Amino acid sequence: MSRWRRVWIAPLLALTLCVAGCGVTVPSDPQGTLERVRGDELRAGASASRELVSIDGSDVSGPLAEVVEDFAASLDAHVTWTVGSEEDLVDGLEAGRLDLAIGGMTEATPWSERVAVTRAYDTIPGVESSVVMLLPLGENAWQAAIEGYLDKEAAG
Amino acid sequence: MRAMGRTDLPPTQQKALRSAIRWEWFTIGYSILTIALIALVVGGSQAMRTAWIEDMLSLIPQISFLVALLFIRRPPTRAFPFGLHRVMGVGHLVAGVALLGVGGDLAYEAISGLIRAEHPSIGTVVVFGQTVWLGWFMVAVMTVTVIGPFFYGHAKAKLAPKLHNKVLYADADMAKADWTSTVASIVGVLGVGVGLWWLDGGAALFISAGIVWDGWRNSRAAVRDLIDQRARTVDDSRPHPLTARVADRVAELPWVRESAVRMRDMGQVFHVEVFVVPEHGQVRVDEIEEARRAVAELDWKVQDVVVVPAASLPPEAEPAGRQEEPAAQRRHHGDA
Repeated sequence: MSRWRRVWIAPLLALTLCVAGCGVTVPSDPQGTLERVRGDELRAGASASRELVSIDGSDVSGPLAEVVEDFAASLDAHVTWTVGSEEDLVDGLEAGRLDLAIGGMTEATPWSERVAVTRAYDTIPGVESSVVMLLPLGENAWQAAIEGYLDKEAAG
Repeated sequence: MRAMGRTDLPPTQQKALRSAIRWEWFTIGYSILTIALIALVVGGSQAMRTAWIEDMLSLIPQISFLVALLFIRRPPTRAFPFGLHRVMGVGHLVAGVALLGVGGDLAYEAISGLIRAEHPSIGTVVVFGQTVWLGWFMVAVMTVTVIGPFFYGHAKAKLAPKLHNKVLYADADMAKADWTSTVASIVGVLGVGVGLWWLDGGAALFISAGIVWDGWRNSRAAVRDLIDQRARTVDDSRPHPLTARVADRVAELPWVRESAVRMRDMGQVFHVEVFVVPEHGQVRVDEIEEARRAVAELDWKVQDVVVVPAASLPPEAEPAGRQEEPAAQRRHHGDA
């Protein structure tokens, strides 16, 4: 049997446990999005979508936008909106210019290869359909914070 | 003349075969359960996805073993005069090529993910009103499923030499190494958990490299048997000692001056050609039959025996009286 597989697995496991034991939170953000946003600025992207997201000049409103504003407030952060097409927003998330994007995307969104997609929520006040938000790939503490917030809102 | 070779097994091998069949069905059931469990949590981790596909691939040797068994018990016919033993080798090759192809594809995915620095996303799930990180469930599922292959891997590894079945041996060998993949996927997920995104791709690469390695080894072994290399032990580590024993046994007969053997692995049983140079240049038919019987009595695997009287021995056949290896080394491989 191949011995090299066993040789490599022990140090890998030890390394992981050590890092995990050094007081790092799980899950965490490789880019530190959640910690950067907390008490500061949430850079959100918006793409117009039926009654969910309305755009008037640089003013973003609608039920989905309100949820983002409330979420930011729960982190003592303010929202800076960027308006664009879905592809612009996805590019922004990939390049690290945005922390979050909304626009009536659903679970079937074709962008899931390039950005992280939250669970689908049909509990957002004023929103009839089931929608998701788009986030940067791999910012898992950030994703857990948003999903946790939306779950809490849905429950309460 | 009786039909050549045999498609039935002596009692010890029948018992081992029944046991192997039970283990294979158990393994298939266990693997399907594992695959279904992992499907619930597979998420955005490349390491989890790779381990998941590996579990699916692990079904191929088991299925090809069970399918091949249906064929190899058929007696030889005019159309298939050597019996259908080679079906086992074909199953071995199919399993090997599948592992090689899919393993290569997974390795490519892992490497390109690492190069593009794709950070794996693992979200949350709601359990009893609590938002819980999905990674914890991945670790839990993988921890639960790591145990099974230990048991059936070792059980099958004990049965494979008794049956001289290389598909069963390969299956057992992969099961015994399966825990490394499971642990690697846990390392990958925990790595993502602490923010080391590359550990996921690294673990996926590690697992897929293991699949490619298994595929390469099995394809190579299967092809070599299908193109009739001399028979080797079930683990392919050395030439099968039966070759020398057959040659020696025939050389002991008083009318034989020299003998040499060509023996190929048909998958579970061997096909034997014995070349004999008779004393005084002549041989009787009942002497030939005596030689065939003497060889067949040596081992259940050597029943399909052809004895060819010849003026001289072909150089590629294994001559009698040549020790392949020290006797001490041979002892603990008695039933291989």
